[in-house]
Amino acid sequence: MSDVEIERWLSDALRRNVTRDPHATARIMRRVRAEVTSGSTPRTPWRRFDVRHSIIGLALAAGIGSITTVSNLGPRADARGRSTSAVIGDSVASTLRDTLRLVRLLFDDPGARRVAVVGDFNRWDASTTALVRDEGTHRWSATLALRDGVHRYAFVVDGVRTIPLSVEPHQADDGLVYSLLHVAPASN
Amino acid sequence: MRYMEDASDHAIIQRILSGDVEQYACLVDRHYDRCARIAVRMLGNREDAEDAIQDAFVRAFRALDGYEDRERFQAWLTRILVNQCRTVLARTRRRESLFTDHDLRALDRVAAPIELGDSWPDLDGALASLSAEQREAVVLRYADDLTYEEMARITGTGTSALKMRVQRAFARLRILLGEVQHV
Repeated sequence: MSDVEIERWLSDALRRNVTRDPHATARIMRRVRAEVTSGSTPRTPWRRFDVRHSIIGLALAAGIGSITTVSNLGPRADARGRSTSAVIGDSVASTLRDTLRLVRLLFDDPGARRVAVVGDFNRWDASTTALVRDEGTHRWSATLALRDGVHRYAFVVDGVRTIPLSVEPHQADDGLVYSLLHVAPASN
Repeated sequence: MRYMEDASDHAIIQRILSGDVEQYACLVDRHYDRCARIAVRMLGNREDAEDAIQDAFVRAFRALDGYEDRERFQAWLTRILVNQCRTVLARTRRRESLFTDHDLRALDRVAAPIELGDSWPDLDGALASLSAEQREAVVLRYADDLTYEEMARITGTGTSALKMRVQRAFARLRILLGEVQHV
């Protein structure tokens, strides 16, 4: 009996499929859903990180140039103190009609290796808008050029979609989780 | 719910990581048969294999954010499955050690009765005649068509050692086949 014959026999025999349990996928998916529901899965899109996230400012229209200093801008909060919209700097408000505006996002997660923001403004593509980490503060930030209105968005932290605890979560019909970013129209 | 049967593993994983959990069913469907071939042959019984496969898929799901594209998803999943099968084997051995004083290495070689329907032995019986390490190497090499380099990454064993295990398995099977063909 040659090795080639044994090899051929093993290949034929081992590549034959075993009878498949017709309920196997359903059983596995039940366990997967249970993982999601329990939130025990680390760093999944469905577990909300306890991280701070805030929109800290709206700045000048795309193409105009500078970003308004964020130190004197803060999120506009509703009665419960939750951020619902951002403040736009007075100095640029009059120039912003019918234009894009720059929205700066901050995200705190010093342990993250990569952070991106996804939303309907970038077709939920995590490769499009990466946040950059400040090596001093370890804070991640990105500046988006957005039209006024409501935008759906989420963060992607190390490849996992995340909704910060500090914002209200929403879930689309297809199961995607997101939050809402309200970009207020410029005041005239 | 729209499933992505025709999409690449990479595209499906990106979708899952965007929060569309149900797409994981596509990956399960796509890779289940291959996992079953490996687990059943490594463990030698269907029940343990089903447990190992389920656990492997759930573990893979938990770790999906750590999966990196430089490795094929199939190889990554296989590594998780092989680890799971080893865990099951170790558990089985511990369980058996509570009830027997036999040398467990010898137990590995207690082959199931070999069916002599033709000149080739029954596969399960033949695999049962191999040590666990030889069986693992042979199954990965021939059930999954892996190269020795891929096997090394999956098992954490050097390619030379893997080749040696396969050679020894062949030597063992050659004896077995000789016995069968001379009955």
